[in-house]
Amino acid sequence: MNAAATPEARVAAEPATLIAALARNAAQCGARIGFRERDFGVWQEWTWSRVLDDTLALAAGFEQIGLGAGEALTVVGDNRARIYMSMLAAMALRAFPAPVFPDVPVGEFALYMRHGSPSIALAEDQEQVDKLIELRERIGRPQTIVYDDPRGIGAYRVDGLVALDEVMAGGRARLDATPGLRAELIARAQPDDIAALLHSSGTTGAPKGIPLRHRNVVGGVANARTGGYFGEDERLFAYLPTAWVGDFVFTVAGGVLLKATVNIPERQETALHDLREVAPTFYLAAPRAWDAMLTRVQVGMADSTPLKRRLFDFFMPRAIDMERKRMAGGALTLSERVTRAIGEALVYGPIKDFLGLSRAERAFTGGEAMGEDTFLFFRALGVRLKQFYGQTETAALSAAQTEDNVKAHTVGRAMPGVDIRIDDSGEILIRSVSVIDGYFDDPEATRSAFEDGWLRTGDAGYLEPDGDLVVLGRVSEVVRTQSGERFIPNFIENRLKFSPYVRNVAVLGAGRADLAAIVCIDFEAVGHWAEQRAISYSSYADLSQHPEAIALVAGVVRHLNETQPAALRVRRFVNLHKDFDADDGEITRTRKLRRNVIESSYAALVDALYDGSREVEFDAQIVYEDGRRGTMRRKLTICEVEA
Amino acid sequence: MFYRRAGISHTSYRQERQLWPLPFDRRLALFVLALTILAPLLVDRLYLVGYLMPWVIWSTATLGLNFLMGGAGQIHLGYGAIIAIGAYSSVHLVRAGTPFEIAIVAGGLASALIGSIFGAAALRVKGLYLAMATLAMQSIVDFVITQVPAISGGGQASLPVPTATFFGIAIVGDLRSYYFALAVCLIVTFFMLNVRRASFGRALAAVREKDYAASILGVNTFRFKLVAFWVSSFIGGVVGAVLAFCYYRAVSPDQFHLDLSIQIVAMAIVGGVGSVLGSFFGAALILFAPILLNQAVGQAAEMFGLAISADLRAHLPLMLYGGMIVGFLLWEPLGLAKIYDNVRNYFLVWPFRHARH
Repeated sequence: MNAAATPEARVAAEPATLIAALARNAAQCGARIGFRERDFGVWQEWTWSRVLDDTLALAAGFEQIGLGAGEALTVVGDNRARIYMSMLAAMALRAFPAPVFPDVPVGEFALYMRHGSPSIALAEDQEQVDKLIELRERIGRPQTIVYDDPRGIGAYRVDGLVALDEVMAGGRARLDATPGLRAELIARAQPDDIAALLHSSGTTGAPKGIPLRHRNVVGGVANARTGGYFGEDERLFAYLPTAWVGDFVFTVAGGVLLKATVNIPERQETALHDLREVAPTFYLAAPRAWDAMLTRVQVGMADSTPLKRRLFDFFMPRAIDMERKRMAGGALTLSERVTRAIGEALVYGPIKDFLGLSRAERAFTGGEAMGEDTFLFFRALGVRLKQFYGQTETAALSAAQTEDNVKAHTVGRAMPGVDIRIDDSGEILIRSVSVIDGYFDDPEATRSAFEDGWLRTGDAGYLEPDGDLVVLGRVSEVVRTQSGERFIPNFIENRLKFSPYVRNVAVLGAGRADLAAIVCIDFEAVGHWAEQRAISYSSYADLSQHPEAIALVAGVVRHLNETQPAALRVRRFVNLHKDFDADDGEITRTRKLRRNVIESSYAALVDALYDGSREVEFDAQIVYEDGRRGTMRRKLTICEVEA
Repeated sequence: MFYRRAGISHTSYRQERQLWPLPFDRRLALFVLALTILAPLLVDRLYLVGYLMPWVIWSTATLGLNFLMGGAGQIHLGYGAIIAIGAYSSVHLVRAGTPFEIAIVAGGLASALIGSIFGAAALRVKGLYLAMATLAMQSIVDFVITQVPAISGGGQASLPVPTATFFGIAIVGDLRSYYFALAVCLIVTFFMLNVRRASFGRALAAVREKDYAASILGVNTFRFKLVAFWVSSFIGGVVGAVLAFCYYRAVSPDQFHLDLSIQIVAMAIVGGVGSVLGSFFGAALILFAPILLNQAVGQAAEMFGLAISADLRAHLPLMLYGGMIVGFLLWEPLGLAKIYDNVRNYFLVWPFRHARH
């Protein structure tokens, strides 16, 4: 047998597509684990050769049911190994997966199916199948619904409903019956093909289709690897929504291109537990998730036994001071090193172990600004947390910090192969191999965002003298108060959200004399705080209006004001009776605030915040889970914060 | 603090059921094992014979009783008699020229046979009545051994134990005796650790919790109660042989009276009924606490120059010892093993209070 003649070996040299990379993995390290998924408490493993076999079987099967080149395969559901393999299978057919966030309601779903005329949709479970069936009644698409998890679907008598098992079995039979099909499928995908169609978050208006081509992601991952942001043989943890660019680039592309082991949690609810079982070497999480982790530690410590709490209170602030010193370029004294070593054994190590981050050599956050407190906390623990900057349009790989150049307020330098410049209006422009050519079927948006190969990011920022990029916020978000003070509400909101007690907040003040805020308390953290003080409450709304809870939030606001310039202090706030919810349109699926929606649906509340009243009667619009609407009258207390 | 759990994942349920999934527990178990093996190098010969050897043997006996009490929930107040049967059977067999390898097993079988006959009472009676039935066994066996000269060699006689040869190695001297006793102890320990994970152990647990509920579940309570007595008595018989050949080297009826039975029951209860680790803790406490307290009282009396009467001097350690046992059981009714467990949990969830948030 001449091994070099196999198609796997021929593409082994320099994979230009994800499929070629997958074939290379199977050829070079076929016995190593590519995917691991937790199922009923134990981890199911797929070696790289099995991943390739299953992917090709799926590809042959999908082709059999009509997936053709240039078509989109809508994918919706939680992370599953077979869903990732189906995404790869679509690429092998020169079709492309178009992942959709699993919590998109039926009403909005059609927005994500405008491109690539998807006639086949892959749903993870019954919930998504139900949604797709309803969608088909409304818009006539998708004609074929493929499901992964058969639970609850056995009794469905609906046309065009196919189990993924059948697709795979059909494909396998085809592969066996057709010699040469296997090699042909491996070689079919081209670098210029679309690898995935993602969508912009739709903070303003309908989401735009963002086609990431193989050469974009392969080039982007190569850049990141050259810069040392990504290594080979990582252990990844795939828990982020498949529709987010971070998951696609880091899990699917990074995982396949750099031969990582991709670990998939059993369910979203068990992700934190499973994270500990995996202990990934590369961990990416949104700032929110890091905040939630910090809250978990803080709540747990507040509840701990006296000795353990004292140790934590002794070692943690010292570690944070040391980290501050180190980031400022200082060296640690001997006694500080000794403190660090003891703290590592007593406090830092066990907490890292508890969180499952003890092996996280590369930990990243991005997507939005991260609180300095959270950032410092994790770095102080010894997790080498770094910030990266990127957009879906750049395959998320544009700039990132390096270990010797970590600052709380920057996002690091441009990765190798990436050019970043700031135009006259202060907007960040990016040019790189990972930047897409243009939006899908949207020449107008493409024209306004691309200019001679440069991408207009829409983010405001500046480059520091040493080349570090500072991102301030969206260009469109920069607003002025009545007196002309420029500020970015998001920036202040993030600083308020550093408190574990504040889950969401909207800072108002554009065109007003001073700033005010609508605060959504963190039900878990404030609830726990209330329980410890024997404060009784019946619901989120009740707890949010409790005088002590208001005083608690007032303390958080006062703390913010200490570091704010006088003109930009938050003078008044109100605790909202509910949390902002993506289903009500107040935040996007990626948890970004939709300011215009909030200002219109809470207009009465905003007026009350500025007319000096102490209380406001507010008719809250409620959208029930089944889509019905109702109103509920709420009395909300407005709290003044002394300047 | 010591326990690190990140990165421990299992690809099969069999793997998940392993004895010590946590590396720290594994290392600790290996460390203790290494200590017991290296003990002759580390401690004085006097301590080896006076402390470690009885601890190892009595722990084995407690494990055997714990199989019945903790595993199957049947009380036994005649375990001393079981040990006696094993000791006398094996000694007589070796004296009659049977190889020791066979004699030790035969001793176990003899105990198992007689133990199960009395254990059959457990099929009819429970609780206090079973306690009475086993107590009766103790008296009957004591009586038979003392009164039949063919067994005891006469009322006051002490039967000399010949030197045993185990697969060509003569068990002479403290070192070989210690290692032989340790080997038996390890085998029993591993049996006890694993039996709970097997269907046999789960059936016993069902019988322990509620025998008629177990029979509704399809567990043959008749069979499992009898097997529990059989296995427990077999271990007791083997311990009897070890006791005779490694430790006493001469057997007499008074070594196996009711006080031995009570002592082993006390070890099982103080250590923690049903706990393997507790058997070792319980044996250590019951064996050594009186000795240590005696020394402590003696030293205290000397140090502070207290003129305490000889009577008080003799009884004070016993009072303290009784108080200590009562205290431990008040503090933690589930025994020393549970105290260890609490301490372990304290470190397991370090630096938090609970396992989950």
